[in-house]
Amino acid sequence: MPSAGAADEVKSSWADEVEEVEGGHLPATVEKNDGNSKTIIEYSLNDDGKKVKITSHYKIEKHRVARTIAVRKTWRKYGLSKSDKPGPNPATTITAEDVFMHFLSNKEEEMNEQEELKEKLINAQKGQVKCRLCKEDHWTKQCPYKDKLEPLRTSLLGEEKVEDDQAQAGATPADKANKIGGVTQGKYVPPSMRDGGSKKGESMMSARGRDETATVRVTNLSENTREQDLQDLFRPFGDISRIFLAKDKNTGQSKGFAFINFKRREDANKAIQTLNGYGYDHLILSVEWAKPSTTQ
Amino acid sequence: MKPIMLQGHERSITQIKFNREGDLLFSASKDVKPNVWYSINGERLGSYDGHSGTIWSIDVKWDSSLFLSGSADQTMRIWDVETGNCVSDLEMKTSVRGVNFSYSGTMVAYTTDKMMGHHSELNIIDIREPNNVDATPIMKTQVTPTDAKALAVLWGPLDECVITGHEDGAVIKWDMRTGKKIEVGTEHTKQIKDMQLSHDGMMLITASKDTTARLWDIATLESLKMYKTDRPVNSAAITPLVDQFPHVVMGGGQEAMDVTTTSARIGKFDARFFHLVFEEEFARVKGHFGPINSICFHPNGRGYASGGEDGYVRVHVFDDAYYQFKFDF
Repeated sequence: MPSAGAADEVKSSWADEVEEVEGGHLPATVEKNDGNSKTIIEYSLNDDGKKVKITSHYKIEKHRVARTIAVRKTWRKYGLSKSDKPGPNPATTITAEDVFMHFLSNKEEEMNEQEELKEKLINAQKGQVKCRLCKEDHWTKQCPYKDKLEPLRTSLLGEEKVEDDQAQAGATPADKANKIGGVTQGKYVPPSMRDGGSKKGESMMSARGRDETATVRVTNLSENTREQDLQDLFRPFGDISRIFLAKDKNTGQSKGFAFINFKRREDANKAIQTLNGYGYDHLILSVEWAKPSTTQ
Repeated sequence: MKPIMLQGHERSITQIKFNREGDLLFSASKDVKPNVWYSINGERLGSYDGHSGTIWSIDVKWDSSLFLSGSADQTMRIWDVETGNCVSDLEMKTSVRGVNFSYSGTMVAYTTDKMMGHHSELNIIDIREPNNVDATPIMKTQVTPTDAKALAVLWGPLDECVITGHEDGAVIKWDMRTGKKIEVGTEHTKQIKDMQLSHDGMMLITASKDTTARLWDIATLESLKMYKTDRPVNSAAITPLVDQFPHVVMGGGQEAMDVTTTSARIGKFDARFFHLVFEEEFARVKGHFGPINSICFHPNGRGYASGGEDGYVRVHVFDDAYYQFKFDF
């Protein structure tokens, strides 16, 4: 509590007000009414002898009602409410917390949801499992056309390269010939004997060497960035051969940097010129040439 | 929606009722003073002081001039709604369980409990002179031979019949003039807790302890629909806007004696909305922390009020979501 002198100097200080209440004076109730709303400020002492200020806001609504209802509204209160002031008494009438009507989804919706889920599962499986014979979404072993298609396919393989031939990429022409003769696929072929085993394979080194000439590094990406976003962002500058977005192994969220391999160096250069310092997703991108990795 | 909570009673609510226009809401509880409130803002108009026992049942005359209360203190009182004065105090031999004004407001039907050697009775008296009521019934019927006491009473159309709901689950339609049974509905297996008329008075909904509510055709007393829940139903009401929103609201919960041993979360004290025709539940509203003992729609169908074992009356006005809800079928 400041000294009496200080309180005198500053007229409207809070200390002044406290003094007043301690003296037993409570400010009078203030009522403001501006037609649409009413505000009542009341002061009272609570059980601990502290001053409590209660501000109540009322919204005034006007309703047009039948005469009988209007008459009833003017009746004087009686019984337990005899001494109540006009308007709701806060002791008996409380505005309760907001409650919501909770709508129950009915059975049909539930069914639909279940079906959707099933469909999703099926779709997800579609991508994972693909028959090598008929390209449908089941395992090759369970293919209903196995007996018909397999001999046909193996015979065709000799002349044509089938698109998803990776599983059999290692098979030598000799093997293919064997298969036509009825030998099963699972036969082991040593790496040196496999297709391409004789020639020098594309090494990782060479791939990188080629790419890095036109690779840009993008940093300061936001966590929510996805490959598609980068594709949208960089595609206008030229053909992109590869996008690598560093992601957290567990959460799958972006780690904030990415590498974009352009097909042409000029395109990459253009991208750097334009996008370095570009505001994207509330962050400012930093785009620069990727440095050759030190391990090389 | 933000309900208004009315806190005027010291004990659990037994019955709430709107007047015909819906501007007044009457509430009765196991304490001795029925209350009347303005439904628009929850302001209490007053209380009716004089009873000395639980108020079991209340009713209000069509023009909101008279209020009727039946009590366990073995009296039925008629009150002036405007002043809160007791106009007439009628003493009975046993406690009064159900009371109801006739549609015309000239007669009152009431049922009494079976107690102290007296049988449960259905009586009708003339109240055309409320200040000087002749307490001798113009029709008197013993609720025999089942002798299960009548808990609720309603007038049928044109004041030609009276319908009572009984402790053994029977719904009985009586001829007003002869005092004989016309129809008996025995679909309910346990006691009838509440009966309410539809807005046009052609249908009746009963709430029973056997966990169901039923919709009846008044003319034939045929059970048209059944609304099944998993707990005793204490009260059920049909919306006045039955043509646009064919809905039924039900309130209940477990037995009052078990309430303290279960939490509100699993106590299932919500008001439950059912589709009138398809008998399927489509919405719930939480709020009470005891079973709902009495529930009714506002006569304009834009809201409802519920009174619970917790002693509170909650007055709700529907959100837009209620009107926009489309029932899929």
